Amino acid sequence: MGMPVSLALRGRHADDTAARTAWAGALAVLREADRVFSTYRADSDVSRLSRGESGLEDCAPEVAEVLALGAMAERDSSGAFSVWRPGPDGDVVLDPSGVVKGWAVERAAALLRSLDGTDFCLSAGGDMVCSTADPDAEPWRVGIEDPADPRRLVAVVPVSSGAVATSGRAHRGEHVVDARTGRPPAAVASVTVIAGSLTWADIDATAAFALGPEAARWLETRPGRCGLVVWADGTTTTVHPVSR
Amino acid sequence: MQVQITVSGGQVTDVEVLEYPDDDGRDRQINARALPILVSETLDAQSADIDVVSGATYTSEGYTSSLQSALDQAGL
Repeated sequence: MGMPVSLALRGRHADDTAARTAWAGALAVLREADRVFSTYRADSDVSRLSRGESGLEDCAPEVAEVLALGAMAERDSSGAFSVWRPGPDGDVVLDPSGVVKGWAVERAAALLRSLDGTDFCLSAGGDMVCSTADPDAEPWRVGIEDPADPRRLVAVVPVSSGAVATSGRAHRGEHVVDARTGRPPAAVASVTVIAGSLTWADIDATAAFALGPEAARWLETRPGRCGLVVWADGTTTTVHPVSR
Repeated sequence: MQVQITVSGGQVTDVEVLEYPDDDGRDRQINARALPILVSETLDAQSADIDVVSGATYTSEGYTSSLQSALDQAGL
């Protein structure tokens, strides 16, 4: 996936063998996800499935799980989010990377949850899972980058327990498109979502971004999430959580 | 979890969710007050009062010049 991964630890196992074992395990989970899901590797399960060379039954069982998440997100976003996109020669190709990243990092974080008495923040390519052993302890302070200027922050979120994901045009160019039109949305510069799991924070950030002008209104309907939409003109909308 | 897959000519054409996936994380709650607080700060790893940065997908190429890289090196 070509993304930097950082881990911050505080507390009992901040710097010991248990922490190093958990970190090695977390990296192994991410490497395995890359091996199965990478669209850049011609021999990955997903690449072979996309080319029609193998069926879902030949893939790792996690592929069905990720495709199901993608189908749910497509349904919930009225089709703006999809793991299927138009390929270079007019075919429809499978690209589950909008689901896989958050899902894989959330799985990797499970290994860090086993470290008792320890706070962690596992960050991968600008998205992160945060946890504090004591809910009243000092929260992790997550800065939200200004999409217009990566040297600036637009907001800070104090997170004791939860995940944060941001989707936008910065860094990688216009890589998120509205699956209904195949075009990148124009009205919105970035969407940050805070949720209980990074799987859904990441999916919802991408889906809300793809929805363009509807981003904040859609996010307001998602239970257990809150977030920040930065519009193309630099104004912002803070989305408060709704009760379920 | 149950998923229904429609295959046509060896290609997966449709995936339908028959039952909600059992994703532990889905029911994990975020802490109260985990709301974005608007700020306007020029970033500097030495002075920024933050642990980590969320931004649109950092790639490995972009990482070396990112604030996250500076925070990691500072060991915050």
